[in-house]
Amino acid sequence: MTKLPLPALIILASWLAFSIGTANSSRASDTGQSIEPRDTSFRNDVMAVLSKAGCNLGTCHGNAHGKGGLKLSLRGQNPAQDFETLSRQGGSRRANVVTPEASLLLRKPLMDVPHEGGRRFKADSAEYRILQSWIAAVMPADSENAPKLVALKVEPQHDTIYAPDTTATIRATAEFSNGSKRDVTSLAVYESSATFVAVTNLGIATGDRAGLTTITVRYLDQQVPVRLEFVPERPDFVAAAPEPANFVDELVFRQLARLKINPSDICDDTAFLRRASLDLTGLLPTADQAQKFVASTDTDKRTKLIDQLLESPEFVDMQTLRWADLLLVEEKTLDRKGVEVFHDWIHESFARHKPLNQLAKEILEARGSTYKTPPANFYRALRVPEARGEATAQVFLGIRLQCAKCHNHPFDRWTQDDYYGWANFFGRVDYKIIENKRRDKNDKNEFVGEQIVLLKDEGDIKNPTTGATAGLRYLGNLTNDASDSASSTDDKDKPKLDRLQRIAQWMSSPDNDRFAAAQANRIWYQIMGQGIVDPIDDFRSTNPAVNPELLDALTKEFVEHNFSVRHLMRVIMNSKVYQLSSTTNSTNADDELLFSHAIPRRLTAEQTLDAIAQTLDAPIRFGGHDPGTKAVQLRGVRNGGHRYATPEIGDRFLALFGKPGRLLTCECERTNGTTLAQTFEMVSGELVDQLLRGSNGRIAKAEQSGEPFEKTITDLYWSALSRQPSVEELTAAENHIKSSDNARRGLEDVAWALLNSNEFLFRR
Amino acid sequence: MNNRKPVSSIAEFHRRDLLRAGGPGLLGLTLPKLLEAKEKSTSGSAPKARAKSVIFLFQWGGPSHVDTFDMKLDAPDAYRSKYNPISTSVPGMHVCEHLPETAKVMNKIAQIRTVHHTMNNHNSAGYTALTGVEPPIDDQRLRESLDLFPAYGSVVDAVSPSTNGMPTFVSFPWTISDGSTTPGQRASFLGRIHDPLFIPNDPNAPDFRLSQLSLPSDVSMKRLGDRRRLQQLINQQARDLDNSAAAQGINAYYQRALSMLNSQRVREAFDLTKEPEPMREAYGRTTYGQSCLLSRRLVESGVKFVTAYFSRSIGGRSKTDGGWDTHGFDDTRMYEILPAWHFPLTDHTLPVLLLDLEERGLLDETLVLWMGEFGRTPKINANISRDHWPKCYTVLLAGGGVKGGAVYGRSDRYGAVPDRDPVTTGDLAATVYHLLGIDPATEVHDNLNRPLPIANGRPVFDIMI
Repeated sequence: MTKLPLPALIILASWLAFSIGTANSSRASDTGQSIEPRDTSFRNDVMAVLSKAGCNLGTCHGNAHGKGGLKLSLRGQNPAQDFETLSRQGGSRRANVVTPEASLLLRKPLMDVPHEGGRRFKADSAEYRILQSWIAAVMPADSENAPKLVALKVEPQHDTIYAPDTTATIRATAEFSNGSKRDVTSLAVYESSATFVAVTNLGIATGDRAGLTTITVRYLDQQVPVRLEFVPERPDFVAAAPEPANFVDELVFRQLARLKINPSDICDDTAFLRRASLDLTGLLPTADQAQKFVASTDTDKRTKLIDQLLESPEFVDMQTLRWADLLLVEEKTLDRKGVEVFHDWIHESFARHKPLNQLAKEILEARGSTYKTPPANFYRALRVPEARGEATAQVFLGIRLQCAKCHNHPFDRWTQDDYYGWANFFGRVDYKIIENKRRDKNDKNEFVGEQIVLLKDEGDIKNPTTGATAGLRYLGNLTNDASDSASSTDDKDKPKLDRLQRIAQWMSSPDNDRFAAAQANRIWYQIMGQGIVDPIDDFRSTNPAVNPELLDALTKEFVEHNFSVRHLMRVIMNSKVYQLSSTTNSTNADDELLFSHAIPRRLTAEQTLDAIAQTLDAPIRFGGHDPGTKAVQLRGVRNGGHRYATPEIGDRFLALFGKPGRLLTCECERTNGTTLAQTFEMVSGELVDQLLRGSNGRIAKAEQSGEPFEKTITDLYWSALSRQPSVEELTAAENHIKSSDNARRGLEDVAWALLNSNEFLFRR
Repeated sequence: MNNRKPVSSIAEFHRRDLLRAGGPGLLGLTLPKLLEAKEKSTSGSAPKARAKSVIFLFQWGGPSHVDTFDMKLDAPDAYRSKYNPISTSVPGMHVCEHLPETAKVMNKIAQIRTVHHTMNNHNSAGYTALTGVEPPIDDQRLRESLDLFPAYGSVVDAVSPSTNGMPTFVSFPWTISDGSTTPGQRASFLGRIHDPLFIPNDPNAPDFRLSQLSLPSDVSMKRLGDRRRLQQLINQQARDLDNSAAAQGINAYYQRALSMLNSQRVREAFDLTKEPEPMREAYGRTTYGQSCLLSRRLVESGVKFVTAYFSRSIGGRSKTDGGWDTHGFDDTRMYEILPAWHFPLTDHTLPVLLLDLEERGLLDETLVLWMGEFGRTPKINANISRDHWPKCYTVLLAGGGVKGGAVYGRSDRYGAVPDRDPVTTGDLAATVYHLLGIDPATEVHDNLNRPLPIANGRPVFDIMI
């Protein structure tokens, strides 16, 4: 086995780099022909070609069952296995060493013979030559001391491209274990996150319009992101933004100015009041609150409102709802009592201003009776170590680890060793089921009765792929030794920490940037409706923050202020960025990523239901809850009636509008998309109809009082939309009422129209 | 490549783009050549549509294959059905003596006798049958959640929706469950927008109506029109919402909802009182019978995928209610229950539906799929009944490009395992999609943005015309 012909490749590489810089891509690919690698490394060349040509993607031969009788490891994660497959299996038809050109391995991708995957490369390509020369050399394996890939470096890592320029040139350099470097620009794979950017085989990215993208550059098992910003020409652009109120504004407006985007104006008082109330409490402002706020001339009234809302009991309700969703507070597994104690514990935590890292710590180290130690319910809901590991990574670190269960994560650094090493922290969690009065003996999900969550003294899970016992691994850059022995301290007075205590301590440490960043991003998301990293539970290098400086600054602020949710929300909401209008200008109309204007979003299920009830002054009764309980205050998923009965009307409405079932630790389980069924519910559904016709609500009372229609209409407008009706609206409503068979019905129609208006259904 | 190509002066920083591209390379396959190749291969292999619509009659609880369509006449006593076989319209083919009407239409039906999977519990098996995809665990613990696969009809709605103003996917009259709601009845990760139009009402009830298409009693169409005008006036005040994609979406839904309420065609499709009395009687005055009739009415008016559930519960102990789960528990006996409840109900619906479709010229373009979540144990149990058996069972298909009278696959002498030509639920899904003209290799993306083919299998071409 001979060594790599590195010098030759370096010459080839620099040639390519030169040609990329100076010529168009067709010339660049021509140049590849002139120099041929004489010896081809399976790991470093052939594997790269399999990725470059897309052969080992999940949609092709990387599929769990392979395709057309050829199965490769997904994205080349297992070179040894692929070597066996290609060199030892499939016989001479697949790889013909006597006549390499006759190999299916070459004829298929050329489409010389039918190939479902189409043509992958041409006969004059570098890909073809590498495969051909490897087959011709009788498919050698790499020697033991063949250089192994250590790092992949890209240039540039971040670039801003100003129109009329539309291209960026990416160069990729591989660093090997023997210290050598090699330009692998032509062997790397380029994938753009946005479809308006195309990247050639040689790393030239062209944007056909302005926008942001992340190019993932992949070579063998390494991948690195390149962030590209394509800026439009806009010759007349003059940066204009409100005076920054704090660092949030400075960082957002700086990025916008660089991209020739101006933020919208500041929103009016009505929009701000509704926004702040909905975001912090889940509720609309009352008519009275709205009138007072709009009329107030206090220049500091927005800041004061934020402070007041942050200290309100309704704020605690709303935060509790958000976290109850994530922590799987659901009746079937926790039972009603478990739901009650866990919900109330979360509520108490936010009422007492518990720092978020403390909350995480108490949950992760919890054990004992699920009735007496409420946070132990988190583990009660997650019955196997893998589920605990995945949930913990997703909720607390914003990491989707699921992919790494069956294969190394295709877009992230996480390997199966990471996955099982992390899950193993939770492998000793066990349960003592004191009683289980479940109704259906077949239903293993159902637990009714007290349980003790406990930690066994021994036991480890196995990595099913290797069959080996999993070690212990933290997910992240902290260099803490994860092993059991590391936990014994020199200080004999200090008790040894068990695995749950260790992971709780690791997680909640102020040095754990991943936790702090994930939670700062979540808080931003809760207020702004969209993460800086988005989706918020998908942190990875290849899904970077749209404004990394902003996320860093928020994370720092969060840690410095002792993980206080209220503090970070106060900072964000006092920014001009939070208070921007949803009315766009000529430069930001198409921005949906950079926070240059507010993006209207439909109210959530609970917000919608509470807003309807409040507007009509007709509370919904949820069985099993005190009268007057609001949807935002509900503890569980099924809140009224017997679990096996048809859900009550309020629960049905909430489910229809996207209240999550709390089976997943993913923010995505709460859906806020519109469906036809929702529209029918609002147009002709039972609940809205009942409330409109109720005998105790706002409409009934107004009718009985005999007050002028104008007053009732105005009242309804302030209640529903936090504003005065326009003259046109008032006239139309009055005319309609007067022309109706009876005034009551006319009023119902006006209220119906308000509840069905976009202004009511959206937070804008 | 043109380096000087001007960039539009309007910057577009669309989240949509990012979402569409998903994780790098998953959905995007953003190497332009890859994309090109992919699109070609997909469009190139889209099969010709043989069926315009599907009626999926889901037999919840799991009918016994060896007591109905795959009777093992030569099996030992401990296995052989206690019913007698009768001959059918297909020479040499037998079915159970309690299905005489069905026997007459066997020449319109293709059977696959080797459908198999590994799920022994109702919910996991039900999910497998309703989606064609086996779940990661065979466990009653399986619950409806966003990481599981969508229903057939939801997939159709996502990749090949109706364009005729009718909903693509309608299901009724129950949500089935066994302890917890059986997964596979809705759109799951495809998004609620692809959920079925679900009718939770009994089509046999005198006041049956589609609640969504009914206005409250004192709201006339005129009054609704007045309401709508007031609503539109308010919407005109908030112009900033005009640019919002979400608000535009809602506007479109209001339009659609109101036009459905206004549409005679839509309302009539769901209005069983428009059927002549003898027709209603022919299907039987049962919930399932009228569900079959409603299925026909909907397909006739252009709905693409209809799922009608045989029963709400797995049943098996009652002679007047419930599904096919006849274990013989609590001193009940399968051999007494089936002829009292399940067989007559089946024999007065399936043949009626097929003949009705045929008479209307709809059978050629309507695929009828009749299947449960599994079959039942070849060996008779201690209760003189049978338990769950997913290792080999029989599925019926008719119309929509299917060869009548065909039998595909052969089970062994007990009906225990496939002897020849085994068919997976993935193959079955591929068959259904293929007949609808949808390439079974079409990919959808789950919540983690993983590309998943809509069917993991190959169409059974041998049963196609």
